[in-house]
Amino acid sequence: MINFLFLVTLLIYLAASIFQTLSLAISNRSEAAIIRPTIERIAFWGTSIGFAFLSLFIPLWWLTQGHFPMTHWTDSTAFFAWAITLIYLIIVRLTHLRTLGSFVMPVAFIAILISYSFATHTAALPEPLQNYWLLAHTTLIFIGYAAFIAAFGFGLMYLIAERKIRKKTDTLLDNLLPSLGISDELGYRCTILGVILLTMGVIVGSLWTQYIRDVPWKWLDAKVISTLMTWLIYVLQIGLRQFWGWHGRRAAYAAIIGFVAVLCTYVGVDLFLDSMHTYR
Amino acid sequence: MNQIISIGTSHHVAPIEFREKLAFSEAQLTESLQHLRESYQIHEAVILSTCNRVEVYAVANAVRTADAAAKMLIEFLSHYHYIGVEPLKKWTYLHHNLETIQHLFRVTASLDSMVVGESQILGQVKAAFGASREAGGAGTVLNRLFTKAFSVGKRIRSETTIATGAVSISYAAVELAKKIFNTLEGKTVAIIGAGEMSELTAKHLVSNGVSNVIVANRTYERAVKVAEKFNGTPVAYDSDLGFLIDADIVITSTNAPDYLIKRQPLVNIMRKRRHRYMFLIDIAVPRDIEPDVSKIDHAFLYNIDDLEAVVASNLKDRQQEATRAEQIVVEEAKRFYDQLQIFQVNPTIKALHQQFREIADTELQACFYKATLSDQQEAAVASMTQAIVKKLLHHPMQNLRCAVNDGNADHGQYVQALQELFALDVNDKETSNQ
Repeated sequence: MINFLFLVTLLIYLAASIFQTLSLAISNRSEAAIIRPTIERIAFWGTSIGFAFLSLFIPLWWLTQGHFPMTHWTDSTAFFAWAITLIYLIIVRLTHLRTLGSFVMPVAFIAILISYSFATHTAALPEPLQNYWLLAHTTLIFIGYAAFIAAFGFGLMYLIAERKIRKKTDTLLDNLLPSLGISDELGYRCTILGVILLTMGVIVGSLWTQYIRDVPWKWLDAKVISTLMTWLIYVLQIGLRQFWGWHGRRAAYAAIIGFVAVLCTYVGVDLFLDSMHTYR
Repeated sequence: MNQIISIGTSHHVAPIEFREKLAFSEAQLTESLQHLRESYQIHEAVILSTCNRVEVYAVANAVRTADAAAKMLIEFLSHYHYIGVEPLKKWTYLHHNLETIQHLFRVTASLDSMVVGESQILGQVKAAFGASREAGGAGTVLNRLFTKAFSVGKRIRSETTIATGAVSISYAAVELAKKIFNTLEGKTVAIIGAGEMSELTAKHLVSNGVSNVIVANRTYERAVKVAEKFNGTPVAYDSDLGFLIDADIVITSTNAPDYLIKRQPLVNIMRKRRHRYMFLIDIAVPRDIEPDVSKIDHAFLYNIDDLEAVVASNLKDRQQEATRAEQIVVEEAKRFYDQLQIFQVNPTIKALHQQFREIADTELQACFYKATLSDQQEAAVASMTQAIVKKLLHHPMQNLRCAVNDGNADHGQYVQALQELFALDVNDKETSNQ
């Protein structure tokens, strides 16, 4: 039953992603332009319903596993998708820029797809790690990652919009993207939010190590190093913008590089390197 | 029956010389509307007079045919403006009933305008209607018609894109600026060289939020003169382009034979302004800005051809959308016309029903007074009379409604015949505003 519901969630996310992308793909000049508001509405409500479903699974797993569910790819990617959707919905709430969904919802969908394909797996978590430190540490970092995904979405929107303006044809009517200045500014804010959350998450994590007994801990953990590299990329980006005026196109590329770094840290380390943080 | 007719002329059919002869000034409106209603058998009228069109919409309910009503309008225009009937017939168009409704819907939705989708016409029709209502010219029928026309215009503007996309160079520049900057508030525009087009563009930018204007000219006095118009800052032109450091939008329109803004100096400027976006609009021929400038990060260059291409593609889009809009007009006009017909026969139907029912009631009372009947018998007799009334009226009413729904012109005669034969008192304000 739970598996079936999770499949439904997966399908809702798939539909939401498709409709989000479709709403951006429909040309203003085509006959279909008249149904775009409907498509946008379906996409947005799909996203909201998918989010509501997903929000049910996390406490459910928590109850069945007896601790915050963050031990296996199933839990972790589902939570990642949840965090991405959360950030997206907050941004829509604040700015009414639904177009962002066309870029971040597919990422959320892929996360759930991974989660679904591991759905029957669980992993044991050593007793000493089962506490609220885990909740704080992972929640902060994952929502931080989600903010970086949003920044990545704004970066892509910036690059596409800029291309359209430089290409000079069809720039006005078919350009449903926000202005360059807006994409740039919001992408930057998301980056700052991500850095703050990631920093807090890392601090919580390092404090946690002081309380861990009976579990071997080494500082030169692959995940730790990789996370610090990611953190550096984003901090450097903020610095360059503040002191050398690196914004616009360069910031957009930086957001994409950051996105790759997040993926490496999140997925790459687990697959290729041994780490204390590995999901099983 | 009401005849809705219109006579008019526009830029499509007549030259300016004729249109200006036919034009009504604001002061003439009240007087002419009054004249139209007093001296002719016109009951309602609205006069729309703009620089591109002069149109009279009228309702006549004392004439049998629309042609007769049209003749009165021609006569009125001919007398009022001292124009011969022949040129009037040649340079104007006449519409009757459904055609009139369609025409007004098209005009209000700006499908008949020189630039399809322009927004002024809606305001002009509203003003004409308001003026006529104030002068007592518009009654029930025109009230309904114009209110509907406004809502159809609104529907078309929201369901099609005939009113989107800039159709002038200066507005295209404003729309582009909005696609670049997050807001135009607090931005600075620099005008290099003077000219109507650059000043117009600057004006639109200012009305969209741009707050500072810098005017550069080779001769400082000229710069001062132009700057005064915008409350801006005049600067002396220098080839280092130093004055562009604070400029977010640059408009050039000089007669200089060579490029004024070249890539390398601008790269330096961009560095100094920390790579904030710069939108450069070159409307000069020969060009003032080196094309390579568009390769600089965060500098966006549009020349006059680029802007014209944007305008052309927007115009093409509006033309395409106009076809869809026309379909909406046809559909809405038909629906409105049918409703209007039913609305016009309703008072007669009501009056006939009422008359029959009153007669039946009076006779019933008389009968009950004469004969003593049990309650049950009284009820039976009463329901029988009601059934008789209903059945008697069934066929005439059905046929009348059919005539209306089929768009059969005879229904006017039916209504008149009914009113006369049954001596119906239809002095309802619904059909006449007199």
